[in-house]
Amino acid sequence: MPHDDHAPDHEHDHSQPRVAFPDESLPEGSVVDGAALAGDVEEAFDYVVVGSGAAGAVAAHTLAQAGFSVAIVEEGPWVRTREFGERVYEAFRRMYRDAGTQVIEGRSYVPLIQGRCVGGSTVMNSAIAHRTPEDVLDEWRARFGLGQHLTAEILAPHFDALERELNVHAVDDEVLGRNNRLFLDETSAMGLPARKMHRYERNCRGSGRCVTGCPNAAKQGMNVSYVPWALSLGARIYCSCRVDRVVVKDGVATGVLAHTIAKDATIAHVPRAVRLHARRGVLVAASTIQTPNVLRRSGLRARAIGEHFSCHPGYGVGGVFDEPVGMDFGATQGAECTHLRKTERIKLETIAMPPELAAVRIPGLGRELMKNFGAFSNLAVWAVVIRAEAEGTVRPGWGGRDKVKLSFTKRDIERTRKGTAMLARMMFEVGAREVWPGIFGLPPVIRSIDEVRLIEEAPTDQRVWSYITTHLFGAARMGVDPKTSVVGPDFQTHEARGLYVVDSSVFPTNLGVNPQHSIMGLSRLAATRIAERARAAGASGTRAA
Amino acid sequence: MKLARFEERWAEAAMGAIFPGAPGDGFGDIRGMDLRGFLRQVVAIVPLQAAVGLRAAVWLCALAPLFVLGKLSTLAGLAEADRERVVVRLAASRVYAIRSLVLILKTIGALLYAGDDAVRARMNSPRAPAQKGTGLVTLHAKPVQAA
Repeated sequence: MPHDDHAPDHEHDHSQPRVAFPDESLPEGSVVDGAALAGDVEEAFDYVVVGSGAAGAVAAHTLAQAGFSVAIVEEGPWVRTREFGERVYEAFRRMYRDAGTQVIEGRSYVPLIQGRCVGGSTVMNSAIAHRTPEDVLDEWRARFGLGQHLTAEILAPHFDALERELNVHAVDDEVLGRNNRLFLDETSAMGLPARKMHRYERNCRGSGRCVTGCPNAAKQGMNVSYVPWALSLGARIYCSCRVDRVVVKDGVATGVLAHTIAKDATIAHVPRAVRLHARRGVLVAASTIQTPNVLRRSGLRARAIGEHFSCHPGYGVGGVFDEPVGMDFGATQGAECTHLRKTERIKLETIAMPPELAAVRIPGLGRELMKNFGAFSNLAVWAVVIRAEAEGTVRPGWGGRDKVKLSFTKRDIERTRKGTAMLARMMFEVGAREVWPGIFGLPPVIRSIDEVRLIEEAPTDQRVWSYITTHLFGAARMGVDPKTSVVGPDFQTHEARGLYVVDSSVFPTNLGVNPQHSIMGLSRLAATRIAERARAAGASGTRAA
Repeated sequence: MKLARFEERWAEAAMGAIFPGAPGDGFGDIRGMDLRGFLRQVVAIVPLQAAVGLRAAVWLCALAPLFVLGKLSTLAGLAEADRERVVVRLAASRVYAIRSLVLILKTIGALLYAGDDAVRARMNSPRAPAQKGTGLVTLHAKPVQAA
């Protein structure tokens, strides 16, 4: 059987006093494990928040801080820091939606990575912080009639607070790692503006295990930050509870109906009903993929639900060096270049991959694959991320799942090609002996900078490119016209009062930079305004003192 | 969904062709790991669409010898070298669906294979420096800056 990740992690230093992680010692009664419930549940709160990822956790904390009683409903389980292992398969099984097998359907299948656990995708992402670019905010105002609702000035105090609370700072040199250093060395030599990434972390040890959950609680995912903080302020979280629908009565959201689910598909489970009443409102933060279908199941029929889905497809390139690179140490993602974001819609960045994920992109099968496996310790992986123009759809799929469809445009692929060629050149210039472009129809290994022209001439057929995507947007977008949007500038749906959407599904477009900060910033803004309006209407919170 | 025993045998043959190991280089064969147990767990936890894809990939590789080598045999009935030849040809297919199915097997196999302690340790061990004087001519080079 695969490695048992539930065994004590041999990497924890047992000679040191046992460190208490923030996801331990939580207030009694604050965590309800749906997988272990013996009977149905019915409770009432001021606000119910659907989802515990970047948006839901921040919204819940903001409302709890304002004195309101808050319930968070999270479909996935709470996997504690102490349970995080090193194996990708175990992480996929326990914490990733559909065990990591989600895809976007289109001209080709593009893997789509989402977390499904307390903390959502913040548990397995690289914790990169980028404020919403001002040109993007300008575009939202100009194209979507958002007027002065979303400006850099309005968002600034929220970003300031997030950066302070989550300790955002540039990667420390001690944990930079060679994969990131090589990138920074080459961009410096080229004169291409680049920088160390700014991340949410405290005392990162460079374990390189972001993808399977930070074993040191250094990465400030929502599971070790805003969720526990919200619980310490009186909020309650219902884990392993999937929301069936928001209850909307006479055009007003009054709560949610959910049912409990097993922690994974191999465990027998008797579902229990969980009915949570919301006296003041329901905030849906289930992500761009799940939120539209939650809204549909709740009876909303806006034409824009599930439309205008967009993403940032990523494409990785491997380079093999004579000297060890050692992707098993260092910030998983620690260096980036956003210089080409506005003009070319391209971002270049590093990404260290665990062996299991790198293995899929290592060239060859059989003996050739085994030979290339031997190069892993000398392998660097960099990626180009595209602010894609393409838009797709999110619909209900078979068996209660979510069906996402999108095909990239020719220009999206041309930009991928340009970025990939740039990275390949950069790798040769900084000393790579060979580069693995991973493009079907090209040699799997190129050994000379002159062969980079093959990448520049590669077809723009999506099926020859091995994309992956994690940044997801749209599908319940914000706007002033109910015919073309789902929520207004106040984050409230046009169709139901008291029903808000606060995740990236409200973003009118994608961003071109990592979205977590924007997601949290807009969610904090939304929850702050919701709390202020409730106060102005004379509401007092019902949170127990 | 469960794989039948013969399908598990076929999957083992295909995965073994993809990850045969390299004993001289310190890499074991994937068939020395609990591959069947792993596959049973995978098909139990992934959505039906993914499980069907895995089964389709197994059948494709199993029946491919007839089309790829003109041999009336399943993959499991071939010699090791021929098995590798078959999967390599399938992965190079101009038909997207065919090479995608092989990639499914590589992806799932990688989760087991590269998750193995010994394989990971070997992957993370620095390799010996490459031999100098390969005869390749570098046309463009910049000095490597100190980190």
